[in-house]
Amino acid sequence: MANEMEELIGFLSSPSPQVKKAAVDIVRGLTGSEEGLQSLASYSKTVLPSLSRLLGENKEVSELATEALVNLSQNSDLAAKMIEMGFIKTTMDILYKQGCEITGLLVMLLVNLTQLDAGVESLLQVGDDKVQGLYVMKLVRSFCTSSSEKEDDPFGHVGSILVNVSKNKAGRTLLLDPKRGLLKQIIRQFDSTSLLRKKGVSGTIRNCCFEADNQLQNLLLISEFLWPALLLPVAGNKVYNEQDTSKMPLELGSALSIEREPVSNPEIRIQALEAIYLITLQGAGRRAFWSVNGPRILQIGYEEEEDTKVMGAYEQIGSLLVEGNDTEEGSTQTSS
Amino acid sequence: MALLMEKGTEPQTESELADLDAISALKESAAIELKEEGNKYVKMGKKHYSEAIKCYTRAINQKALSDTETSILFSNRAHVNLLLGNYGRALSDSEEAIKLSPANVKAFYRAAKASLSLNKLVEAKAFSEKGLDQNPDNEELKTLKKQIDSQISELQQREAQVSKALKTAKDLVSAIEDRELKIGQATFQKLSGLKKPILDKDHILHWPVLLLYAEVMSSDFIEDFCETDMFSAHLGLISFSHSAEPLPWDKENAYTRDAIELYYEAGSGVCLSKKEIISNFLQGTVASHLETFGDDETDTVKSFPKGISSVGNNRSKWVKVNERRTLNAVLKEPNFVIPGIPVFFVVSKRSSFYKDFKSGNWSLPS
Repeated sequence: MANEMEELIGFLSSPSPQVKKAAVDIVRGLTGSEEGLQSLASYSKTVLPSLSRLLGENKEVSELATEALVNLSQNSDLAAKMIEMGFIKTTMDILYKQGCEITGLLVMLLVNLTQLDAGVESLLQVGDDKVQGLYVMKLVRSFCTSSSEKEDDPFGHVGSILVNVSKNKAGRTLLLDPKRGLLKQIIRQFDSTSLLRKKGVSGTIRNCCFEADNQLQNLLLISEFLWPALLLPVAGNKVYNEQDTSKMPLELGSALSIEREPVSNPEIRIQALEAIYLITLQGAGRRAFWSVNGPRILQIGYEEEEDTKVMGAYEQIGSLLVEGNDTEEGSTQTSS
Repeated sequence: MALLMEKGTEPQTESELADLDAISALKESAAIELKEEGNKYVKMGKKHYSEAIKCYTRAINQKALSDTETSILFSNRAHVNLLLGNYGRALSDSEEAIKLSPANVKAFYRAAKASLSLNKLVEAKAFSEKGLDQNPDNEELKTLKKQIDSQISELQQREAQVSKALKTAKDLVSAIEDRELKIGQATFQKLSGLKKPILDKDHILHWPVLLLYAEVMSSDFIEDFCETDMFSAHLGLISFSHSAEPLPWDKENAYTRDAIELYYEAGSGVCLSKKEIISNFLQGTVASHLETFGDDETDTVKSFPKGISSVGNNRSKWVKVNERRTLNAVLKEPNFVIPGIPVFFVVSKRSSFYKDFKSGNWSLPS
């Protein structure tokens, strides 16, 4: 004799569309509260696959099902079970099916699932040589070719997925791979007006810079795009004079010679500074930083900074540069 | 007396047995005599070595002596073969001598020496060690072993150097591939010689860069241009800085820092294959003799990223370099085929040559 919960879960697979919709609505409601979620959790073996099957149905049903799954996936045990059940693949398949109407929700589901390392590995498709990295490439492409101007910006959260992916070493290596050029594409999204996207890009770059000690070239070789993304947020608000900008590469110099919107979010400024710190820990990184007149930019930005945490991040780099001062400032000398 | 025994006829009688004994004894003394004759010939010097060999050979063919004594014959013959430079024969003779009498020290010595001369270092080492096992105090063997050991370590060092040079070249090519740069045939080799790019420990490339003053075709070198450096940084250091003297041929002092412009030649030349590039990088190193580089991918002649060979009407196109870009950014340009090492042409806005150059009327003197 099935109890109420089992009955409810059973209705998720009912042949009657009204029953199904009503059931998924109730389940979704349950996932909105902690007790409801816990009671569903003990039936994870049945409720998760049932919900997963609903993802491919019409929008009414699939939307509710996805919302339920998004809520459930905030619980790490349930997220782990979902990953084991192959939810990443299922989600990606439906996401990229023609006419998908629940894109934004599916992306959010992926964000939650990739909070776990197992989720990232599943998304990276590490086991399969032939398709390794394919999912990530698809997501990056969607992220970069969609705009945040659409009201809901369904792919906006991909930035957060990428932040999670970049917490994993294999993920960083994939993003930094010069042959795939993923990081280069991602950095361009930094110009977006959407704070969500900016945060995603900023966090991803910062995490990738943890590879500066062994993949520095993959960072420095996209410096045309990297330096502006890292330095503009921390360059202060004033327009720079020619004496300073003439020592910078063209893109950076021109961007600083005009009026610009300040980056008000301190988290982004801190991430940019942390990324710069990681790069300048390396000799070649310091050299490249000096050659774009980076220290001057930080000096000006620091003067205008008011947030103490951000100031700390500036100071951390400052001490690094002072130590390396003698060797680096003259490092553009030609050596025999 | 029948010397040849027919099948089925065994010696039966006492007299037959006695005859056989007598023959044996004769053969034995003949062999001993031949051995001594051979020894005499050896002492007589080079001209008589081949005679000595003949004597030893005849002595061996008597098949009348004990294993120990025959071993000495082989060992002596090995000695003469060594003196004659017949190392192969010396080796086989020594090996035979060892087989017949494992206690024959001289045989081990000669086997080791012959192997060494044939560059069979592993065998030489083995023979010398076995010899010393039996005769740990033998000075000659000790010296020989030292010689073998030092040759082996020399060989290993050389091999290590060769593989290091190969690895360096392969790493360079790999870095170039990653950056999708195109390398073509070197055009100014007299000026650039064997200069090559270097990959530093952070995997950043440093290029030797050739600057050509198009007006007079004289040249200057930037020995170490780090790919992340901007052009402006390096130009500020060469002849054009304000304090420096003008270039000797620059009578009108047109070539000052603010007046100079840098150009590269676009679309000139065909890209080299990976194998050719590695081969070029190996020139002037200990590994320059290598023909194959150890993996199929490199050895098959595959072309590198497609480069645009000469632009249409055979007129090279001159592309101006923006000084506020990094070297890498310019080298990556799709129409830039690096001629061995990067070459940039320097002209001055203020010189009368400028018009000719910009109008496309000037081309490289062949």
